[in-house]
Amino acid sequence: MKLLNKILFGSLSLLFLLPGYNAFAQTADKGSVSVAVSYFNANNKIPYVVVKVKTKVNGKFQNVGGIPLKLSLNKDSEGTLIGKVVTNEQGEATAIIPQSLKKEWSSTVKHTFIAAFAGNAKYDSTSTSLTVSKAKILIDTTSSRSVVATVMELKDTTWTPVKGVDVVLAIRRLGSDLNINETATFATDSTGKASGDFKRDSIPGDLKGNITLVAKVLDNDTYGNLFIEKKVHWGSKFVSKANDFNARTLFATRAKAPVWLMVIATGIIIGVWTVLILLVQNILKIKKLGNEA
Amino acid sequence: MENSKSIAGEEQIIQDLLPRKFKNSGKILVYILSAFCLVGIYAYYRQLRYGLIVTHMRDYVSWGIYISNFVFFVAISLVGSLITAVFRLAGVKWGSPLTRIAEMIAVAAIIFASIIIIVDMGSPERFYNLFLYGRIQSPIIWDVIVITTYFFISILLLYYPLLPDLQILLRFKEKSGPRLHKFYSYLGSFWKGSHKQYLLSKKAINALCIAIIPVAFTIHTVTSWLFATTYRPGWDSTNFGAYFIAGAFLVGAGAVVVAMYIFRKWYGLEKYITLDHFDKMGRVLVLLCLLYLYFNVNEFLTPFFKMKESEAGYLNDMFSGSFAPVFWFAIFTGIILPIIILLFKKGRKPLPMFIVGIMVVVGAWFKRYLIVTPTLLHPFMPMHDVPASYHHYFPSWEEWAITMGSLAGAILIIVALCRVFPIIPIQETINEHHETAK
Amino acid sequence: MELKDSSRRDFLIAGLAVAAIATGCTPGSPFEAAVGDDVKPSGKKVKLLSVDGEEIEVDEAFLKPVPHMPTITNAEARVGIPGKKFVMVIDLSRCKNLKKCQSACNHAHDLNPGENWIKVDPMQSAEHTAPYWEPTTCMHCDEPPCVKVCPVDATFKRQDGIVLIDSDRCIGCRFCMAACPYSTRVFNWGAPEIPADVASQPYSAETSIPQKKGTVGKCDFCADMTRMGMLPHCVSACPNGTFFYGDLNEDSVTNGAETFRFSDLMRDKGGYRLMEDLGTKPSVYYLPPVSRNFPFESGLENDKLQNK
Repeated sequence: MKLLNKILFGSLSLLFLLPGYNAFAQTADKGSVSVAVSYFNANNKIPYVVVKVKTKVNGKFQNVGGIPLKLSLNKDSEGTLIGKVVTNEQGEATAIIPQSLKKEWSSTVKHTFIAAFAGNAKYDSTSTSLTVSKAKILIDTTSSRSVVATVMELKDTTWTPVKGVDVVLAIRRLGSDLNINETATFATDSTGKASGDFKRDSIPGDLKGNITLVAKVLDNDTYGNLFIEKKVHWGSKFVSKANDFNARTLFATRAKAPVWLMVIATGIIIGVWTVLILLVQNILKIKKLGNEA
Repeated sequence: MENSKSIAGEEQIIQDLLPRKFKNSGKILVYILSAFCLVGIYAYYRQLRYGLIVTHMRDYVSWGIYISNFVFFVAISLVGSLITAVFRLAGVKWGSPLTRIAEMIAVAAIIFASIIIIVDMGSPERFYNLFLYGRIQSPIIWDVIVITTYFFISILLLYYPLLPDLQILLRFKEKSGPRLHKFYSYLGSFWKGSHKQYLLSKKAINALCIAIIPVAFTIHTVTSWLFATTYRPGWDSTNFGAYFIAGAFLVGAGAVVVAMYIFRKWYGLEKYITLDHFDKMGRVLVLLCLLYLYFNVNEFLTPFFKMKESEAGYLNDMFSGSFAPVFWFAIFTGIILPIIILLFKKGRKPLPMFIVGIMVVVGAWFKRYLIVTPTLLHPFMPMHDVPASYHHYFPSWEEWAITMGSLAGAILIIVALCRVFPIIPIQETINEHHETAK
Repeated sequence: MELKDSSRRDFLIAGLAVAAIATGCTPGSPFEAAVGDDVKPSGKKVKLLSVDGEEIEVDEAFLKPVPHMPTITNAEARVGIPGKKFVMVIDLSRCKNLKKCQSACNHAHDLNPGENWIKVDPMQSAEHTAPYWEPTTCMHCDEPPCVKVCPVDATFKRQDGIVLIDSDRCIGCRFCMAACPYSTRVFNWGAPEIPADVASQPYSAETSIPQKKGTVGKCDFCADMTRMGMLPHCVSACPNGTFFYGDLNEDSVTNGAETFRFSDLMRDKGGYRLMEDLGTKPSVYYLPPVSRNFPFESGLENDKLQNK
């Protein structure tokens, strides 16, 4: 009887608890993610979009991977779908504007990129949009070794210069770009031009002394990220310094042991072991003598 | 000595020196040593299973008593070359009864030196990489080559003088039993003692005696280079090779004295290992002690005088810090006290000599410990950002068990060899007896 | 932080840009941007849209944000990247012992708990000199004493200056640890506590993953990241920009947010290397702790926390 009571009570309380638990889970257990969309245009060629998904854990932002996102152009419909992406471990995903959106792309000078997340078991649904104006950046150099970048915006059907855009002028290096002089950014004037003097004399270039210059607009509210590169002959020729890698050294691999060491070592080994082998042969000789006797 | 020898006939010598079955005490010794070995093997099984984590070595003290023990074994093995080769070439006649003991110790020690170096490896299952990918630039490869060579020479040097004795042993089939008899005949049935054979053997022994000296010097010098090729305070010394060799001769001679005393008591060899032998070994030992003391002064006084910043911590730790008790113990029991005792004629009697021998060997073992550990606890960079256990070192029970097991194993090999072969060369003793009789 | 993010992302695009304009062109000199060098065109073309609304054909292989790298064989990992000479600059005036570098490194390499490849030491040369925090990594010496003594070629020096370990080769003799004056090498005394899926991966000398029982480990300058043109984890993890990384042959180093000409940095700030007198020729340079950003004491609490 007691047992039956217990079971009854147990199942009843479970019935009451279940919906409450569900509601609780929905409100408190699900986190929210923030989606950031950035627009990129490299060398005035392929435009693409990068989305980054973050969430706040204990007051600190953390990247969220594995979030499926739907990216669309201008309006959220099937016909304007850029693509469906899933964020990687760094919470990032990239999408390139497909050829199928040619008409939509050419129809306006301003584009809105919409990133929509439908929500999953852990996070609530969300969507973000980014509106950028179509712009391009040009790079030129003068004989007096200054770099000139021009930023232009598409207004109706004409490219017009833009004033007051901050441009970074730099040299491409491993993992980063080195500014052409101590100035961090250069603002464009009314002709859309920003210029800086190249002060990195004799910076090492490639074998012919070529270096790659880059002019870039970073995280601009109106134009997104733009950059353009140019190869110039301003660097010093790369001279391959004497590298110990192929030399015979004490810290080289076994195949590249110093000659003196190999000669001495093999000399000693051969010398000593010849004697030892002769001594073993000597035993055989003694054996033979003994067996003959 | 002359008297006793002339009275004893040839047959008497043979009867005295033939290897004998163990009595109860001998059996108990074998059991005890085997028990030590078994515990050591169990400890090594644990080490194989869980890794070197079972030891108390950590990132700073990355070499512990295994390496100390390795250096100790290599040091002791050098005695084979000292007693056999140096004495023989120098024409020291009285040393001949001791050659077999010395060679047995050398072979046992070199075997365990190579075993212990494998024990110290973190991935012993890749031991073959040393042969597959060996880099001649590395002092470890030099050590591998030299140890192999030295082991081979030691075996030959044990084997050649054994041939005439094997002929004698073969005459006593009923005493040695069928299995041992078969073993003897496999090893030396071809030895007929003809003049030609004798000449060949003599030539070979002479060649070996010459060859073993440079190899012996090399083996211990290279072992010292495992330390001296690094930058660390206490190891970065040009004195290291000579310092190691002096110490090695000392501990080897000490071990021979201990063995002399034990075998003499055990087998009643008073006629063959005489008071005179002890007296002379005592003189050799005191000479080696003085030599080693000289190298110690050389090794410690000059850095102490300068007290370079990088070496100060290490030196202070040795002289007056946490290692001071061990350091002064090793110096006093291993070098100073033996010198004082052995300078007196009474100190060179068998029993005091035996005690001095033990002091030298024990002192030498701790000296090896001091060569390895204190240096590693005084790196150039501060010991920081590591768990607290990394800051000090005391061996774990597994390390002790393996070390004890290896020492027991080495003694076991010596015991086994003296069960099978005569500890004192019979034929040589007979020859000497004939010479003195004439 | 934001700046850093965007500059790194920008770098990834560099690969895409190179690909976009130079499809078909083979990078001839070893001095091309690191990204793109190792990417092999798949031959499959994809039609894309340009900013002007024109159609462009691009090879599919170049379209990944981080180009897919072919697996590096052990032989390739032993040779290194031609034409490069990697260096690190550690600015001691910026370090306040936050140890973000350490935790990022430990996480990225799946290190056994308690094992640190980066250590941050409190240093004080003499009684009346000021203390400072000194992060240490492997110095990647040009005449590495550890490599000299390795009996089996398990640790090796590459042509780009990086010293790596082949944990499939290492016999665990620990001679390298004794030989290293910087005490940078650590040993996996027991089986490392790492996830099973990590432990079962084949070992790569460039990622140093997975660490294995009975072998030596140490800082690898994140050779895998460098190959992809990215910065080592410690460099990008440091919020104060203490670590700079770059190619000596390009004469530039960066901490992600700032990029300097290496030679300028050395000249203007008095760069030096540790224990120069030993002749090991390290690849890690230090900038002295002058005009500091933080007082030494600000790092003490974190030190107590981690070194209980």
